[in-house]
Amino acid sequence: MIRRALAFAVLWSICTQGEMSSWVIGGPTVGAATLASVVLLPQRVWHWRLRGLVRFVPYFLVRSVLGSVDVARRALHPRLPLAPLLVEYPLRLQDDLARVFLVNTVSLLPGTLSAELHAEHLTVHALDGGVAGVSAELEVLEKLVAALFGTPLVDSFVKTEAARA
Amino acid sequence: MTVTEWCSLALTTAGAFFFFAGTVGVLRFPDVYTRLHALTKADGLGLGLIVLGLIVRTQGWTEVCQLALIWILVMVSSATACHLVARAALGTGVRLWRRPG
Repeated sequence: MIRRALAFAVLWSICTQGEMSSWVIGGPTVGAATLASVVLLPQRVWHWRLRGLVRFVPYFLVRSVLGSVDVARRALHPRLPLAPLLVEYPLRLQDDLARVFLVNTVSLLPGTLSAELHAEHLTVHALDGGVAGVSAELEVLEKLVAALFGTPLVDSFVKTEAARA
Repeated sequence: MTVTEWCSLALTTAGAFFFFAGTVGVLRFPDVYTRLHALTKADGLGLGLIVLGLIVRTQGWTEVCQLALIWILVMVSSATACHLVARAALGTGVRLWRRPG
């Protein structure tokens, strides 16, 4: 809890460029944010693997630039090239925080947008690319997120086998 | 104008272009889902480029941290908001647009 309060305090002092008089508002805000984070996420603290991060960050930056260029191209194209579809992607990622992280990165990456997170799968809306293309892209991303959080991927097929045994 | 000023101008102009494209997308795309794509992606890069363009001109590291932080917080909130809007649309049965014919 002290670590979280400290992190929020650092954020505040960056935002206000260390202005001392701002702490009249900053103090209560940091307190409220800490309280909210403890209530919403009582157990764990963010934990990323360095090796996963080194692989994830360049992938994310390059892909999100390409994604933005792609959307801009489609928006400005006279014929509006779109072939939207919904893809049901079976999740192999088990960890809750890693799943939420995946949902958010999917929304920022080329042509895909997380619509709904279910217990065993993720509904993704895509601008184009077909089911196979979108699923392949998601598979790469899921692997990177798993490496980032240091959490295993479990095939739903394997899981049902294990449940039966 | 100095080299840094030119760099800054080029980056912020490119950023403004992506904001423009994102706005055109919101106006032209056919349904709520495709419009969300235009908002989250094009505007995200637009803001990133403007932030980079301003970072080039900063005086100290606190300003750099501040600008980078603004970009990260906007990215996180736009991804979350985008997911929530899409989920609400899907939940209330908004059908997705498909090319007619």
